[in-house]
Amino acid sequence: MAALVTLVKNRYREEPSFDETLAGHPGFPRLVALKIDVQRRGVSYTDRAQAAVDPAIHQLRSPYIFGSRDGAIKPLPESLLLRDGTTILTDPTPLEQDPYIVDYLDGEFVLVDNGEVREAVELWSKPAYYGKFTSSGQPMSHIVSARPQRLNVFQSSFCYFWAEDKGCKFCDIVTHTKQQREELGVPNRLRPEDVRETVTEALKESGRFTSLCFTAGSVIKGDTLFDREVDFYVELLQAIGEIFRTKKFPSQLIGSAFNEKQLTRLYEETGLSSYTSDLEVLDEEQFNWLCPGKAKWVGYKEWRERLVRAVDIFGRGNVGTGLVSGIELARPHGFSSEKDALSATLSEAEYLAERGVTTVYIVWVPRPGSALRGQKAPSLDYFIRLAQGLQDLRVKYKLRVDFDDYRRCGNHPDSDLARLQ
Amino acid sequence: MSAILSAEVIDLLNSQETAKILATVDEHGHPHAVVKKSLHNGGDGNIHLLEILESSHTGRNLLGALWFGRKVSISLLGKEGRQVQIKGKPLKCHISGPLFQRNYVKLRERLGDVDLAAVWVIEPEEVIDADFAERKARQDKERPTLIHLDRLLKETAV
Ligand code: SF4
Repeated sequence: MAALVTLVKNRYREEPSFDETLAGHPGFPRLVALKIDVQRRGVSYTDRAQAAVDPAIHQLRSPYIFGSRDGAIKPLPESLLLRDGTTILTDPTPLEQDPYIVDYLDGEFVLVDNGEVREAVELWSKPAYYGKFTSSGQPMSHIVSARPQRLNVFQSSFCYFWAEDKGCKFCDIVTHTKQQREELGVPNRLRPEDVRETVTEALKESGRFTSLCFTAGSVIKGDTLFDREVDFYVELLQAIGEIFRTKKFPSQLIGSAFNEKQLTRLYEETGLSSYTSDLEVLDEEQFNWLCPGKAKWVGYKEWRERLVRAVDIFGRGNVGTGLVSGIELARPHGFSSEKDALSATLSEAEYLAERGVTTVYIVWVPRPGSALRGQKAPSLDYFIRLAQGLQDLRVKYKLRVDFDDYRRCGNHPDSDLARLQ
Repeated sequence: MSAILSAEVIDLLNSQETAKILATVDEHGHPHAVVKKSLHNGGDGNIHLLEILESSHTGRNLLGALWFGRKVSISLLGKEGRQVQIKGKPLKCHISGPLFQRNYVKLRERLGDVDLAAVWVIEPEEVIDADFAERKARQDKERPTLIHLDRLLKETAV
């Protein structure tokens, strides 16, 4: 397979090599840079690697809120771990898009690029509750999915912004939901009893999970905008809260930009310990273009101010916003240079950090089910600078990011760096 | 994988009665030496450490060492006075998976309601016999001029 890849290796990207790029950032950890690059370029599993995957001990891909680069749902490994404990969330990518190769050599899985082994990797361990069923007959892995240390509860896989053709341009939630429903029978909306039962079962595995993450598409319905979305979360969080002996439990909700009344309700009536609402891109014009639903119903400045107001309720270090980094350079309306994109993003992130809101990013993957399909993510150099810039802001403003770090999330290269903070 | 740990050093590492100190440095070169009772022989040629606290200074320094190629040092003092120093480098940090979970369960059985942040794997690169009598005999033999002159005086000269 490696030889084949060398043959088909094309000029998919005209850019310096990994080593050349990293040489310009001697203070940046190589393993985190590798994570970024693997996320940016995706992976392809050789036949040998696929044969070495053992479904009895390795976690295979479970239903996820967003789709993958190859647009297919296949029984491949969920994702990878590096030897420093860094998680790489990545997905299978067609060979013509120049992914890293995951091979199996001398008894271990390895990441290969250009025919060279770059690093050994481990596959995620299969959680003990996978393969079990709820009393209502649902596969538990369809109700709650696992990361190495986190449980994901994707409460509903529908976003009302899509209904008016105003879904975010990088998002494929509805296309993917339809595919998961048709191919796997994954339910559209979760029943709180099924979730409570699954979480209880999952936590029987000692030492496996450290936090719960809740997310879903935006629900604009209700007396006030998003009231129904908050209702769903409150119901779910209360059902799960019954199993814990403390009122608050380590948890993250990634939801719409709720108003103060809604946030107070979430904080006071449930065990939720942190709140995240994704601005996706830190520039008003780009936000209007890339997130038309969010722009129409809330608007950039109001979304941002709701985050700031959430700090009064959840506290500093417990409120965050996520970026799909790279979309700020998407064609045709994105920034024309990485330098401008970086400086605009970091200046807005500083505005938020000063006010107690932390910013994390995920690497943009132009998914085939999204409006930006076919485009390419920016350079590794850009993502390294952004990760370092966001982490420097956390240090400058003494902000912690415990609820969204390498262990409790694992999808943000910038918060991987917070391990040294 | 390394196999430089002798049976004697492995016994010292595994003994509950051995004093075990782990010294690390941060990115500014500031040293940090602390007692780490959980240092033990990992059975894979490496030394394993159970890091209980996520906020641990040692944990941060070990990560910095793994990321940027810094070394760490372990000092062992056995109950009979046997001393050994081991220099090495962090190879791996288990924060999940079978080894982590096994240690999580064992640790809680032993210590009660504690958490586990990581199982660190340290590859030994050099084992130095730190026994005083041994070191003194070696220096006396190899570098006999490293001595105060008064120690060489004839008794009758005083
Ligand atoms: S808010 Fe945007 S990113 Fe989130 S689910 Fe809806 S369309 Fe997708």
